[in-house]
Amino acid sequence: MRFLAGALAWLESRSGLGAFIKPLMSHHVPRSATWWYVFGSATLMFFVIQVVTGVCLGTMYAPSAAEAWQSLRYIDKEVPAGWMIRALHGWSSNAMVVMMAIHMLQVFLHASYKYPRELNWITGVCLLLVVLALAFTGQVMRWDQDAYWGLGIGASITDRIPVFGSQIRDLLLGGPIIGGETLNRFYALHVFILPGAAIALVGLHMALIMRHGISEMPRPGAPVRPASYKKEYEERMARDGVPFHPDASQRDMIFCGVCLIALVVVAAIYGPFGPGGEPDPTLIDTNPRPDYPFMWLFGAVSLLPPASETFVMLVTPGVIVLALFLVPFLGNAGERAPSRRPVMVLAAAFAVIAIASLTWEGLASRWSPVMNGWSALPTPAQFVRGRTPLEMQGAVVFQFAQCRNCHALGGSGGQRGPALDDVATRFTPEQLTRQVQQGGGNMPAYGKNLSRAQMDAIVGFLSTLTPSYETPAAIPGAMLPLPISSAEPAPR
Amino acid sequence: MTPLFSALSSVIARRWLASVALLVSGVACDRLPGAPSSSSAPPRGSPQWTLATFDTHCRGCHSMADEGASIPLMDRSYWTFASDAHVIDATTNGQGGLMPAFLDENGGPFTADEIAALARGMRTQWGGSVAGSIAATYTAGNAVAGGLVFAQSCGSCHGPTGTAGSLLDPSYLRLVSDQGLWASTLAGRKALGMPAWNEPMPGRPSGLTPGEAADVVSWIASQRPGGRGGAP
Ligand code: HEC
Ligand code: HEC
Repeated sequence: MRFLAGALAWLESRSGLGAFIKPLMSHHVPRSATWWYVFGSATLMFFVIQVVTGVCLGTMYAPSAAEAWQSLRYIDKEVPAGWMIRALHGWSSNAMVVMMAIHMLQVFLHASYKYPRELNWITGVCLLLVVLALAFTGQVMRWDQDAYWGLGIGASITDRIPVFGSQIRDLLLGGPIIGGETLNRFYALHVFILPGAAIALVGLHMALIMRHGISEMPRPGAPVRPASYKKEYEERMARDGVPFHPDASQRDMIFCGVCLIALVVVAAIYGPFGPGGEPDPTLIDTNPRPDYPFMWLFGAVSLLPPASETFVMLVTPGVIVLALFLVPFLGNAGERAPSRRPVMVLAAAFAVIAIASLTWEGLASRWSPVMNGWSALPTPAQFVRGRTPLEMQGAVVFQFAQCRNCHALGGSGGQRGPALDDVATRFTPEQLTRQVQQGGGNMPAYGKNLSRAQMDAIVGFLSTLTPSYETPAAIPGAMLPLPISSAEPAPR
Repeated sequence: MTPLFSALSSVIARRWLASVALLVSGVACDRLPGAPSSSSAPPRGSPQWTLATFDTHCRGCHSMADEGASIPLMDRSYWTFASDAHVIDATTNGQGGLMPAFLDENGGPFTADEIAALARGMRTQWGGSVAGSIAATYTAGNAVAGGLVFAQSCGSCHGPTGTAGSLLDPSYLRLVSDQGLWASTLAGRKALGMPAWNEPMPGRPSGLTPGEAADVVSWIASQRPGGRGGAP
């Protein structure tokens, strides 16, 4: 025991670690800081879980296009509890985004970003962006068809940036197309660059918290006056504050404990995310459903008229981020109580409702694709009969390019896009060609993925899709109808 | 420590943490509901397995004589000439530009054993034994002689003015391989009005001979812009 104490004292005298930690634990926080203040700590806990599980995954994940998918399968199936680590990493990532949003909402509602804590808010917004970028690049790590799709959509958005679009895309993808290079770039982002940035920002965020202290619960009629705030705050803390540990930290710990248990339970029940189907550059996969943090964006895009897409996809995110950065400067003094800031409360409510309903829109079942539609659902008889060989091949291309996963024919197929039973009544062949080549809505552009002959065939086939399309009445010189029974399949 | 905290922690720490840790440890891990399942599918090669596999992976393109856009694998006429070796080869490596390769090494979902089991299973389900009167795989015949056969037996349906639609459309010919033309010509699509090779057709009451079939497919293939070779 005495030896241990001696060793500790030695460590302390050489490193000063205790002198560093002690003020962190004992600094005074407002007595009014209650359960409202636990969300930031929970976000931090999820971040730590991400780092730990992420490092574990890093020891087993093979960041090469040829092996990534296999290595995930290996982690899932062969590594003891490997799937659990993946499940924890995936769910904790979602939980972190949610917790962060709640934390932000609380800070916003209580106007804790006002003087002198503007920078706390700004580093927080930067953290939000970094964490979202981590979530997106993390989805790419699965290197399955979802990842491939997400990248495709992302690349087409960057492509639309004026002037530098294609350069930025090449930089991100490591070339004009999604290939082996792409995974390496995103791996570097996901495990080195972004986590590094996140750790630095978390440190800064913490340092700022220590510097300015934790804000008190807002009281109506107690406005922030920048001239005297700091002095008064320090006086109140000295008089009436309580030490962070254990008064406030106990709540943090209990809440984090509950979150941790919930995380483990959810991970145990719902398991890891993906990997879905192996990506195959020759097949455009049609499950563009992104991970939860981006679902709202996906829902928004699906509701937009295609013409407004470029504008909305490029401009809206910029405007939202700018608005978030400006928040503390639009009013950094005055009342903090929500009851005295009705407009801000309404704005927050609007944001929450918008994100929730768009997320719901993104998740809503009528969007659901039929993932194996292309290989499972035959072209119904009424769309095969009377078609020319070219049109028949068009129907094969329709399957091959997985159009069926999103579009129904004869009542079977995906519900993501419209059913195409009578598409020829709505589109001329020229319009069909344009839609297939350029995409629109959540439909990808197939221009570069289909050869001219394939395009010819598929447009030929689609042009026959009208309710009144008639089998040519009789085939001159045709034989008499053959006995149908021999054409029927064995009973099944 | 405040009473609340110490009370909670002593309870939680001793019992719960221990059992949660046990639960999550590798031992129990594979029995949790979230563990990726090693599915309890019907045994490979069983009729249920064949049908389920076919239904999810093949039927979208190959169905019965009157539905599905490509060669009707659920139709007996296909199995009278298709050998297991050829079916396995096409499924393993893909064929032409629109039939994907299904072997895992080629990016597909199946092992070689599964493909062999699927081929055998399909034959049991819809086929019978190979009749042996004509080869499963295409070997070029005499294109010039084939032109005549086409004019006599196919042209009324498939010529430029034929009501079944032209087989000579350049885009069509770019999309099918020679082997694909061969298999379609042999199997026919009875329900759509396309006779199998050995069934009565215009000018040939008892169908084609194997030689004529090879000739006519050679001739059709020779009409492909850019010559022979077939789909990319
Ligand atoms: C009685 C009319 C008729 C005759 C005779 C006929 N066919 Fe067909 N053929 C059809 C119909 C109907 C289809 C199916 C619809 C389609 O693909 O146009 C078809 C389909 C085909 C296809 C498959 C097209 C695809 O979807 O890829 C090929 C190949 C073909 N026929 C070759 C021939 C050849 C070779 C002959 C002559 C030996 C011939 N047919 C004679 C009616 C006929
Ligand atoms: C996306 C559509 C598609 C799917 C799904 C598909 N095929 Fe094919 N298959 C084709 C096309 C098109 C051809 C003809 C290609 C050519 O030669 O031009 C073909 C050809 C074949 C042939 C060779 C026919 C012959 O005798 O030359 C076999 C055998 C075959 N497919 C088996 C399968 C099996 C088994 C599955 C399921 C595991 C399957 N296919 C799934 C489109 C498909």
